[in-house]
Amino acid sequence: MTVMLQNVLWQGAAILFGGTLVGMFYKGLDRRLAARMQSRMGPPLRQPFFDVAKLMVKENVVPRHAVAWLYNLMPVVSLVAVAALLFYIPLGGYPALLAGYGDLILVLYLLVVPSLAMMLGGYAAGSPYATVGAQREMVMMMAYEFPLAVTAVSLAWRLSTILPGEATFSLSVLAANPLWDLVGPLGIVGLVLLLGAMLVVTPAELAKIPFDIPEAETEIAGGLLTEYSGRNLALFYLADAIKMVAMGSLMVALFVPYGLADLCGLAGVWGAVVDVAFYLVKLFAVVFVSVIVARVGFARLKIAQATRLFWLPVTGLSLLGLVLLALDRMV
Amino acid sequence: MILGTLMKQLLRRPATNPFPVKRMPRSVTGLLAKVAAGRATVNPPVPTPTDLRGKIAYDREKCIGCKLCIRVCPANVIRFLPEEKKIRMYVARCTFCAQCVDACPVNALATTEEFLLADADRFSRQLIVD
Amino acid sequence: MNNESIHLHIGTDAACYTVPIGPVHPALKEPIEFSFRLDGERIVGVEITPGYAHRGIEYMGMKRNLIQVLYLAERICGICSISHPLALTQAVENAAGIEVPPRAQYIRTIIGELERIHSHLLWAGVGAHELGFDTLLHLTWNVREKAMDLLEQVTGNRVDYAIPIFGGVRRDIPNEKAHLAREALGYYKGLLDRMIDAYLHDKSVEMRTRGVGALTYDQAVSLCAAGPVARASGVCKDVRQDMPYLAYADMEVRAITPEDYGVKPTGDVFDNIVVRLLEVGQSIEIIEFCLDHLPAGELMSIPKIPALLSALKKAEGEGIGRHEAPRGEVFHYIRLGEGIEEPLAWKVKAPTYSNLMSWVPKFLGQEIADIPIIAASIDPCMCCMDRVHLVDKRGTDSVETKEVLIRLSREKTRRVLG
Repeated sequence: MTVMLQNVLWQGAAILFGGTLVGMFYKGLDRRLAARMQSRMGPPLRQPFFDVAKLMVKENVVPRHAVAWLYNLMPVVSLVAVAALLFYIPLGGYPALLAGYGDLILVLYLLVVPSLAMMLGGYAAGSPYATVGAQREMVMMMAYEFPLAVTAVSLAWRLSTILPGEATFSLSVLAANPLWDLVGPLGIVGLVLLLGAMLVVTPAELAKIPFDIPEAETEIAGGLLTEYSGRNLALFYLADAIKMVAMGSLMVALFVPYGLADLCGLAGVWGAVVDVAFYLVKLFAVVFVSVIVARVGFARLKIAQATRLFWLPVTGLSLLGLVLLALDRMV
Repeated sequence: MILGTLMKQLLRRPATNPFPVKRMPRSVTGLLAKVAAGRATVNPPVPTPTDLRGKIAYDREKCIGCKLCIRVCPANVIRFLPEEKKIRMYVARCTFCAQCVDACPVNALATTEEFLLADADRFSRQLIVD
Repeated sequence: MNNESIHLHIGTDAACYTVPIGPVHPALKEPIEFSFRLDGERIVGVEITPGYAHRGIEYMGMKRNLIQVLYLAERICGICSISHPLALTQAVENAAGIEVPPRAQYIRTIIGELERIHSHLLWAGVGAHELGFDTLLHLTWNVREKAMDLLEQVTGNRVDYAIPIFGGVRRDIPNEKAHLAREALGYYKGLLDRMIDAYLHDKSVEMRTRGVGALTYDQAVSLCAAGPVARASGVCKDVRQDMPYLAYADMEVRAITPEDYGVKPTGDVFDNIVVRLLEVGQSIEIIEFCLDHLPAGELMSIPKIPALLSALKKAEGEGIGRHEAPRGEVFHYIRLGEGIEEPLAWKVKAPTYSNLMSWVPKFLGQEIADIPIIAASIDPCMCCMDRVHLVDKRGTDSVETKEVLIRLSREKTRRVLG
């Protein structure tokens, strides 16, 4: 094995490990802060680790009417897709590991795969609750993918008009050239609208209240995940934690990719530490607003209401942002 | 709006009273042993009023064996001891209604504030009153 | 309702599937079995099978003397724990001709209204949980703690207060306790506006509750709905207003309908929230009135237990007792025989029993996502409600003996086992 390949493998392992660690910690932070906002004590920050450890030793039940091979395969697919995401999104202020090999379109595709896997797992489970949950997941995906795609394409397109000839769909290029510095006032308003639309899409992507409709606990008793237990559920749990990191990092890379080390004039190890710390703070800010506060501040919506919300106001917002970015170019 | 309340609550102490301890101990019996030996403390429960309906206290001397308490007890808690003409109460069945206290003509029964009666054995010493 | 369940089918059978909700389900706080026929997300048919919380309380009651039955009645339900004793004491006092001194009547009213406050706050929290809005659940239940603490101070227990006794009440409310009560009421008065703001002005709650699970005025009247369920549809029905008893006889209690909030009554979940939150305000006013006008006097008309037991044993006749529980009208019937300590017959009609049929029109045409909140909107209390009532296919009801029931159960077992 060549040295370069070995390096890449080590870095990949480090990214996976670090991403999982951060994801689980942020999940614990989410539960703790949500509890404090509700005037409760909340679990310790290490709780998600305890949860996964416990789930790993529990019995893995496959329902009698389930399609067993699909049912058992989907958690693995979900985790693999989400882990792959970590290699294509810039983390910690550094370019992605496989930066040259996949761009924003691939990331959007990989974001769909875990939801698709959960949906197929729901259909394979053979329980009426899981079927209803899977139907809802399908509709939810159709709902929130639209503004997500519009936002992603708007940013990439606008950058391509400023830097012709560059591969502006690449996340490294997007992160290296934040649009806030490169557009006029109309463009800044457009960017704010796009940021707003993405903040609404994030809880839907991560299946949190008000958009955790496919897993509605009180309505369909866990929906998609009703029948999952043991190791399968642990894999879905991990996938959810890592997806939080991936989605949050995507938001950071698209909208606030600034580093702090240059500002402080630091370099070397200290610069790295400061950059990573700043990235964690930015990630926490995104998670706080779009996951934690959204989770405690709203009731769960119905599927028709959520779809209408995404197709009309949120898509309208992102399209308006796109139009403003286009207008900004002419001005 | 509700967000204001949420932010305020984030910064305040939670409303939960962490009784007996804040986090689940590794071993509950180990914790109880440590408390008994004086090496660990336990947060007190929320203060209770003085006339809380707790475990019933029995004054054996005053009891005349009239069995009025047995007649009114809804839960079959009290057993009559015919040789001594006294009673024995099995607290595991008690609903703490204190009807026996009201019924007793010589005030041999009284309510106390004791309510921490959880036990693994329904016939343990603390759950039998005589 | 036992083996024969309530049946209603609408819509074509093509592409419909069945989803069972219950008897154990996160949406249900107590066991009841629903079986929904669904067309996509739309409900086209519902079957309800109650009977999972039946404990044989009336049977147990017929084996105990009346004072023991009182505590059994108290434990029919935890949330409406004083409603059943209030109705039972009324029934027995009617049958036995026992008077209740005025001070005792006022104290009974105060505790009954305090229970209404804590029950409605509990319901509000549970409703929020069904909507997925756990924050409101925790906020409401945190607020409810003040009422529970007050009940503990006044009666010695948070639930199952053991206050009423035949002929009066067992504990007094002296001035210090009255002072604590006024303090708690002041706290709630200040809080009521914030609660109304949190529930009725919140956009996501409104989206989930407006127009969901509507029950028209005619449906409410024809299905004999009771309590806040009927009042939310605009039916001005309240036992405290129509047949005043206890301290309600000294004050004018008006049934609260959504029109008091300025909303046209449609009987949907939103109207149910309105009615219950406004009733909390009404209860606060009633308690203040009672505290201000608490008459002096004795607490029990027959203070000595042996005298009470012999008066009850000598009593003969039937009596009924009614109370406006937080969920509606609770009705107790008792029949006493001379020289017999145990009641000859005891029948309990819980308010949820009247409201059970309202579920069917409320569910039809709604979505799966509405199931938990509609189920919660009538404030179901299965443990109060479950009594075995045998109705055969022609609609005639009968009272069957144990032998017939056992025979029917054995026949069903043979059918089920094939």
